[in-house]
Amino acid sequence: MITLSGCHKYFHKGSVNEVHPLDNISLAIEEGDFVTVIGSNGAGKSTLLNCIAGCFFPDTGSITINGCDVTRWPEHKRARFIARVFQDPLLGTCPSATIQQNLALAAKRGKPRGLGRGVKAKDRPRFVAALEHLGLGLETRLLDKVGLLSGGQRQALTMLMATLVKPEVLLLDEHIAALDPKTANQILTLTRDIVSEQGLTTLMITHNMKHALGFGNRLIMLHQGRIILDVRGEEKAALTVNDLLQRFYAVQGEELSLDSMLLT
Amino acid sequence: MKHLLTALALAVLLVAPNAMARSYVIAVNQFVEHPALDAVFNGLSTYFKENNIEVTFKHHNAQANMGTANQIGQQMMAEQADLLVAIATPSAQACAQALLKAPPSAKRPLLFSAVTDPVAAGLVKDLKNPGGKITGVSDQLPIAKHIEMVRTFLPKMQRLGILYNAGEANSRATVVAIRELSATQGFEVVEATAAKTGDVYQAAASLVGKADAIFIPTDNTIIAALENVLKIGIQHKLPVFAADVDSVRRGAVAAMGFDYYLHGRQTGAMARRILEGADPGTVPVEFQKDLQLQINSKYAALMGITPPQALLDTATKIYQ
Amino acid sequence: MTLYAALGAIEQGLVYGIMVIGVYLTFRILDFPDLTVDGSLPLGAAISAVAITHGYDPYLSLVFAAAGGFMAGVVTAVLNTKFRILHLLASILTMIALYSINIRIMSGPNIALLGSSTVFDRVSQLGVPPHLAGLVVFSILALTVAACMVWFLSTELGQALLATGDNPRMITSLGVNTHFIIILGVGLSNGLVAMSGALVAQNQGAADVGMGIGTIVAGLASVIIGETLFGASTIARALAAALLGSIAYRLAIALALGFEFGKFSFNPSDLNLITAILVIGALITPRIKRGLIQR
Repeated sequence: MITLSGCHKYFHKGSVNEVHPLDNISLAIEEGDFVTVIGSNGAGKSTLLNCIAGCFFPDTGSITINGCDVTRWPEHKRARFIARVFQDPLLGTCPSATIQQNLALAAKRGKPRGLGRGVKAKDRPRFVAALEHLGLGLETRLLDKVGLLSGGQRQALTMLMATLVKPEVLLLDEHIAALDPKTANQILTLTRDIVSEQGLTTLMITHNMKHALGFGNRLIMLHQGRIILDVRGEEKAALTVNDLLQRFYAVQGEELSLDSMLLT
Repeated sequence: MKHLLTALALAVLLVAPNAMARSYVIAVNQFVEHPALDAVFNGLSTYFKENNIEVTFKHHNAQANMGTANQIGQQMMAEQADLLVAIATPSAQACAQALLKAPPSAKRPLLFSAVTDPVAAGLVKDLKNPGGKITGVSDQLPIAKHIEMVRTFLPKMQRLGILYNAGEANSRATVVAIRELSATQGFEVVEATAAKTGDVYQAAASLVGKADAIFIPTDNTIIAALENVLKIGIQHKLPVFAADVDSVRRGAVAAMGFDYYLHGRQTGAMARRILEGADPGTVPVEFQKDLQLQINSKYAALMGITPPQALLDTATKIYQ
Repeated sequence: MTLYAALGAIEQGLVYGIMVIGVYLTFRILDFPDLTVDGSLPLGAAISAVAITHGYDPYLSLVFAAAGGFMAGVVTAVLNTKFRILHLLASILTMIALYSINIRIMSGPNIALLGSSTVFDRVSQLGVPPHLAGLVVFSILALTVAACMVWFLSTELGQALLATGDNPRMITSLGVNTHFIIILGVGLSNGLVAMSGALVAQNQGAADVGMGIGTIVAGLASVIIGETLFGASTIARALAAALLGSIAYRLAIALALGFEFGKFSFNPSDLNLITAILVIGALITPRIKRGLIQR
């Protein structure tokens, strides 16, 4: 259960370059929600995700996870609740570490790390089983360095690592945008499978309206830092891509008319 | 006639071994190049030349750097020399340490020269019976004579500034002796230290206004940068006194010191005894006795001080 | 080169090898160029010398020295992580400050250890001849340090440290406080370097404030030569390469210093030039090899 209340974020406030990517965002994400997030460039989608993850703190407003006020918690502290998959497929894994070392790192997400063995023998069967699930043949390559894998393989591995320890929320930031269509599809299918198997609360940013409609039980549209659409369940299922586009232009139109009113 | 020939043959046979004297290799670790230490080496090599003894010198210069002195010490152990000579305390310490760590086959006698206090430096335990492989010639100063000279120049002196490198064992020992003297003679001691030649100028400058005169003991770091001290002396009319006569030639007002060339010759004589078979452990550490007074009138005037006539009369050399 | 000179070089390689492992930790693993080592090596020497001349056990003085080095590393890392000073600059600042601090600790620019008790005494008591004592002590210590480091880097914390240097964004999102890791790593590195300095001082009979100048260069040269000669595919191999690289570097130096071409021979003051040529050679060799293979 994640809530954001009245969150504002400004960058370069007061200067010519001032941007306001989060404008009074209030959002309540229920447990088990699979939320797709869409919006034009600069709408604030990534900013929203980064704010939840703790990459920066909102200027005003608060964020709670399961009742815990995490507004001032740094990113590494929130990691016990949050798992992320980045847009850059190379960012989610350590290239000079082996597959099993990467999995071992992920297995300790949010937990204190001490002087016990990094890669434990008893974890290996668990890793092998999880890798078999991916169907990429990685389970026989536990000792290979991750830097040798392709982008798609690394992103798949990142997905696996993100869900090795069940998170309170899974944040997916356009995680297939940098992949070729075939691999992107594979990762998307993997995403759906993992989310439904584990019943994960998920936020997925996507540019693809079809994906936004076809996945998840809830859809949020952002525009200039504000949530302009929030549909779920039946209402969402009934939407088509055209509907979305119309809604989008309608909002933009409203903005336009506001301006034209001011200028006459 | 036959007897004459026999006698001649015998004479030739007796002389021949000397004429075909063997040549020696002496490895030298000199801490830094300044006139006093250079004079020591000069005296050392000239002694052998004048006595027709062939010596190849492997002469190394540590350039006032302890690390280099250590490196040279180790290098010297592998140079197959007949004798090791170290000029100045830091080099002697470096060679002593290298000697300690060398395998028995590489050990050679070590002779130190221009070392003020061999005991304080840890080189020998007993000056009369060194009892090891190390002995040498010390330039220990009779401090009382030096201070007496300075006070004759400046009878009203209240504060004596001492410029030295706290890292040189020789200087530390001298400063302690001066402090003891100051307590009984009623003047104050102001210290300024420089850890390397680059710091000397600043250290000298720090004595301005705090001392009536500057005294430089036989400190290798300060002497190597003497000109910096003289500059301060002239600029602020602060007389600079030294403990070695080479410094007077360079511009110190006066010094009651040794001729380091003679010091080198004395070292040469000791070296010869050891090369010809003497056991260094039984050779007592020698001191230099012949103090000379040298005065530099030109620089004295520049520093605003007039040498007393009494001293000018007894000086062995006066620089104009 | 005589056997004596070769043994001396190996001995140097081992004692400085502990420093090289420290440099490897910051430079290669954490990607944190750390010049603090030029100041923490003599810091360790100074602390050890003062402790020994005040009657403490030489082995205990190593612990004091390492603690001092650790603190120096922490200062650099805090300047970098909390105050956002560039790592290179932060380390230079600490290094400069340490010069004055070291002189204060020793009440002068050096302390002589001639005749004082050292780590070699215990070994000598066991009957090892004095000229081999250094080799024995340093071999044991260097190998112990390397083994401990291999073990540490295989623990959960050690793996997190490796990841911090490899992909800090990722490891942060996995819950690791990278500031803490960097402070720990840079501290650990300088602790090792300081311990190395303490051993060097006991070996050469004196702690001197200038003995650290050029440490980072020697460390990097050793790391690079080690990687070129021995490869670094696994952590254990990389650390072994660091030690062996240190030995190879000192052997090359000893060779150069003993080299005589007619009247020409190198002086100890030429060491900097020799080091530069060696490192350039080590860096260029792989490139030349590749070029030749392509032909």
